[in-house]
Amino acid sequence: MTAVTTPVLSETGTGTPPGNVDGQAIAITVFSTVKRWGRAWLPVLFLEPKLLPQTLGTLEKLSFIHFARWSMVTELAWNGAPQPKTRLRRPHLYFESNFNGGWEEYIDAFSYVLREGMAAFWGSSYGFPGAVPPGPFKDYIKTSDRRLEASHFYSAYADSTVTIVKQALELDGLVADLRERAAELSPEQFKAEFSALLAKGQRCL
Amino acid sequence: MTTATATTLDLADIQGDILRAYGNAYASTTYVFVRIGDATAGGAWLAGLADQITNAEPWADGKPGSHLNVALTCAGLTALGLPDDVIGSFSAEFRAGMAGRAERLGDIGRNAPDRWDDGLGTGAAHVLVTVNALDEPHLGRALADLRAEVARHGHEIVVEQAAHTLPGSREHFGFADGFAQPAIEGATDDRAAGGGVPLRGGRWRPFAPGEFILGYPDEDTTLDPERRLPSAPTDPLGRNGTYMVWRKLHQDVAAFRDTISTAARHFEDGDEAKLRAKVVGRWENGSPLVTHPDAPATDFDGAAAGANDFRYHGPDQHGAKCPIGAHVRRSNPRDSIGWEGRLTYRHRIIRRGMPYGDPLPVGAADDGEERGLVFACFNASISRQFEAIQVQWLNDGNVFGLGHDADFLMGGIAEGGSMVVQGECPFYLGPQKPFVTVRGGEYLFVPGIAALRAIATWPR
Repeated sequence: MTAVTTPVLSETGTGTPPGNVDGQAIAITVFSTVKRWGRAWLPVLFLEPKLLPQTLGTLEKLSFIHFARWSMVTELAWNGAPQPKTRLRRPHLYFESNFNGGWEEYIDAFSYVLREGMAAFWGSSYGFPGAVPPGPFKDYIKTSDRRLEASHFYSAYADSTVTIVKQALELDGLVADLRERAAELSPEQFKAEFSALLAKGQRCL
Repeated sequence: MTTATATTLDLADIQGDILRAYGNAYASTTYVFVRIGDATAGGAWLAGLADQITNAEPWADGKPGSHLNVALTCAGLTALGLPDDVIGSFSAEFRAGMAGRAERLGDIGRNAPDRWDDGLGTGAAHVLVTVNALDEPHLGRALADLRAEVARHGHEIVVEQAAHTLPGSREHFGFADGFAQPAIEGATDDRAAGGGVPLRGGRWRPFAPGEFILGYPDEDTTLDPERRLPSAPTDPLGRNGTYMVWRKLHQDVAAFRDTISTAARHFEDGDEAKLRAKVVGRWENGSPLVTHPDAPATDFDGAAAGANDFRYHGPDQHGAKCPIGAHVRRSNPRDSIGWEGRLTYRHRIIRRGMPYGDPLPVGAADDGEERGLVFACFNASISRQFEAIQVQWLNDGNVFGLGHDADFLMGGIAEGGSMVVQGECPFYLGPQKPFVTVRGGEYLFVPGIAALRAIATWPR
């Protein structure tokens, strides 16, 4: 392994380095060395998301995952001392994602719901044990020389999850719509419209 | 790493209270926590107990009058002189103990370990002996024998918690309980419909036994081309045992009744029984709201085939019948969060519980008496099973789209939980003081009977 890592000094209860937690948001990173054939395969995969239509659709539906990003790294920029110059002898796959909830449950979603997609992304990385069963896959992700701790991690709404923010935005739209029309409604009409708003927006309350 | 071979359960070596709910047949259960005096005397006492343990084989001569089962805390294993490398082979959460995991579990504030009953969460509780008895005479004899043996070996009883079934087999809030239990391959296959792993097309299959008994293939093993077995303590301790969670939960019955009756004045013509059912997810007699949304089935029998065969996502995705935040829907969500239950099926527990204290008469004001439920459960991984349910599903609502709402029945970390009852027009249960308070608890290891003998005779 040639991966460059930040030393992990301590861990939170979830096995996440403390620098990767900000309120409800948790960051996860995996930096894995890519086999020779991955250098040809990964660019094709990144350019053709249609290869994995189900994976991307499912990722969007799993709203505890804020985003997931895979990129291929062939060289590390040098920003001057004290950073050591590092040459990557092989390309690396850099995965980063932010999520809410349990670390174990996050990887379980990858294993149980996104199995094929995970094989497409990580199959060309050395040591990838397969996404199923999740036990060895979790060990692979936890391996410290593949894991980076963020030196800066920021969450704008630290107490809120993405699901909460999305629900608040949806409710806000409904309320704004009613507010705009409220002046022209009779009290009876307003009561009916307000009840309709509650019914329509009840999953956001 | 061990690989899987035979999957036939060794019923003669598995303790009987794991796979069978004695509470259904036995009127009383007493939980006796013992502090070991000297390690050698501890071994001698346990060796004697091992001969009296009821195993999981079918009863040949009808119901025995009483049963005895044994579990140990990590402090207990240490007190019995087990070496560090053996203790290190047990799971991290078991070694930390329930009190050591308090922050993660939300056992802070009113539920914090420093407020627990004496003897719990302090390292003083080493061995739990559970005594089930058909009636008072059997219980009295079994307890007298146990107390005498504990004293004779120089040990000390630190907690003795009596529990007993209430009239009509209800818990203190008035609900029949304990219907949805996981179906286990080779033991309770017949309970798969509603109790097993949900499959496509409305089908179910029983769980791999290693989800609940150590030393057997679990759900990961069945997906693993190498058929690796889940991690377990060093042999012979890792065979035919399991982990147990024991929690004493005080119930404020008057507060629960007052809250519901006050709120029900504004709910569907003041229908208190229905509002209570909405909070729990089942009617008082146990009929599930999702299959009986308007009124309970008058002849509901939770043990009947198919009684628990239901899902949430298809028939009731938005909670119009059974609210998304109803207690049974949160603690056993089945397919409630979609993907046919694939994000929930690794988080099941075998639940056992028994009420303690006398019932509060209907209409009575709070009498200040201690009453509640002794919650016990069995699982192969406390962190993946019990703790995930407690932390991800009961203490926080995000995974269900319920924000930070805690389970309304159990109450969360903060005071003043609330709940939305979905419906044609949603009904809001406003912030309330909590109904349930943790009085103490322990994480335990339930050894197989041969493993208990090995612990008893460990070279010291």
